[in-house]
Amino acid sequence: MLNEDLVQKWLDEGTIDQHQAGKMRSDLAQYSLERRSRKRTTAFSIIGVVLIGIGAILFVASNWQRMGDVFRVLLLVASTLGVHYAGYLLRYEKEEGKYNRNRIGRALIFLSSLLFGASLFLIAQIYNINANESTLILIWILGALPLVYGYQSAPIAGLCAILSFLWIVLLHGERIDLNKFIEIWDLCLISGIGLYLIGLLHELWERTRSASMPIKFIGLQATLLFLFVFTFQHHRLSVDPMVSVVYALLSVLLLAAVLFSRSIRTGLSGFREDLSMLSMPAIAFLMAAINLTRIYSPLSDKAYMAIFNIIFLALLILLLYAGYGREDFRTIYSTLFWLMLLIFARYFDFFWEMLPRSIFFAVGGLILLAMSVIMDRKRRELKIQFARTGGRN
Amino acid sequence: MNARKSFYLVVVFWLLIFSGFIAYKEYTLQSGKEVLLKTEPVDPRDLFRGDYVTLRYEISALDLGHGQAEDTDYMNYKNNGRIYLALQLKEGYAVPKKIYKNPPDGELFIKGRAKGITYERPEGKASMPPVPKLRVEYGIESYFVPEGLGEEIERLRWENKRIDVLVAIDRFGNAAIKKILIDGNEFKY
Repeated sequence: MLNEDLVQKWLDEGTIDQHQAGKMRSDLAQYSLERRSRKRTTAFSIIGVVLIGIGAILFVASNWQRMGDVFRVLLLVASTLGVHYAGYLLRYEKEEGKYNRNRIGRALIFLSSLLFGASLFLIAQIYNINANESTLILIWILGALPLVYGYQSAPIAGLCAILSFLWIVLLHGERIDLNKFIEIWDLCLISGIGLYLIGLLHELWERTRSASMPIKFIGLQATLLFLFVFTFQHHRLSVDPMVSVVYALLSVLLLAAVLFSRSIRTGLSGFREDLSMLSMPAIAFLMAAINLTRIYSPLSDKAYMAIFNIIFLALLILLLYAGYGREDFRTIYSTLFWLMLLIFARYFDFFWEMLPRSIFFAVGGLILLAMSVIMDRKRRELKIQFARTGGRN
Repeated sequence: MNARKSFYLVVVFWLLIFSGFIAYKEYTLQSGKEVLLKTEPVDPRDLFRGDYVTLRYEISALDLGHGQAEDTDYMNYKNNGRIYLALQLKEGYAVPKKIYKNPPDGELFIKGRAKGITYERPEGKASMPPVPKLRVEYGIESYFVPEGLGEEIERLRWENKRIDVLVAIDRFGNAAIKKILIDGNEFKY
């Protein structure tokens, strides 16, 4: 991105004159003012939408009886459709003005997808549909999907990705056959990797590309979360060989998707980016192999713990490398967060029994403080470095 | 597809989901035959829908012996598999008559899903060996109440009050809760 340093550099080199530099500076100032205003609008819209969404869900959960069932349903359904219509109008029918209608419109469309879920739960509550029923979450996802593709809404794609996890977890609790076939952590890890694959496939078509980033991001974070769970000593791996087959199948599909998307992508593709993408099929492949060892040649719990810690650390290093290569703050920050968590978890594992409690907490606090200072310093350095080269932020 | 078409599609799709959902349950409530079921409630909470009472019925654990099941080999009842329980009325309550794997003709029946086998000793006969019971869910295991009221129903249970549920069962075996009865009187809030 164009910045003050660059303008000064061009001025010093004689590429531009004083008049042009002045014009550039004033345009830059105007641009950053507008950008700040847009960011403010987005931040307030998101906070407002989330608060209203939580309010609607709590309204349903409180099962308030002063209003009749019919009135409550009509109120919530009318609000859902009304908010959706207002969002559509602001997003598509009104001209973009100084009030950032476009952004408010997007926020309202997102709110309507939350209200749709709240309406669904209200109807389910009135008819006493069984609690924690996974089908309701599935209907919510199906109801929100037309918004993802019709309006190319990235936040709703993120919502669907999160809901799909909730659906999987509830389904696992409901279905005894699924429960016996696969352990919950394996299922969650498979879902995370699968979600990443879905995000990758969304990259292939122009129409679905906007949904790719949030789905991939949530898929990656979920994969990291559940892989992190595996780094602890006490957990169970699934013992059905079919689970390994599912992991292996995912690995092959991911590899094909990465290679296919690389062949049609132009411009931004580089070795480092592909390296981070290839880490996902590698994880799926390793999980298939580890699950097979569990069935045919089981190792000790400590050996599995060591293996998962090495895999997790290797994945984090790979992501950091790719993040630096692409100058992608989001990847770098999230990876550093997981790295910090890993260090802290292992500190707890190894020193909890060894050290007196007072020293344990004091040293733990010092480590945390030191890590936050290092992370903040690194963030500043990266910001300056990436600003020079025009990286993503 | 442009944004206007997407908007109309979303509105129609959502209205179809809402009305379909309501119509499906209303059909059972309006056209279904009313029966009373005996229960044993507890009081948990749903993330999105608040307090509810978990209802366990006498028909939630079925005896596969004594000619009560069309197929007596309990290994044939797959987890999450569909079952149809024919009901008969006894002293005002609906009680199990026979378990089928397909909807029976000319009988009042309720549709459920098998949820595994448990081994229970017959009531009052501790010396007898445990017998296998088929656990079944009928989609009527939750009753939603305003915040805090679940505890009140739980308290009533500890006071040995009789808690029954009036359900409507349509001709396809779908069931929906109509009301909860405490000692024969409707529980109102």
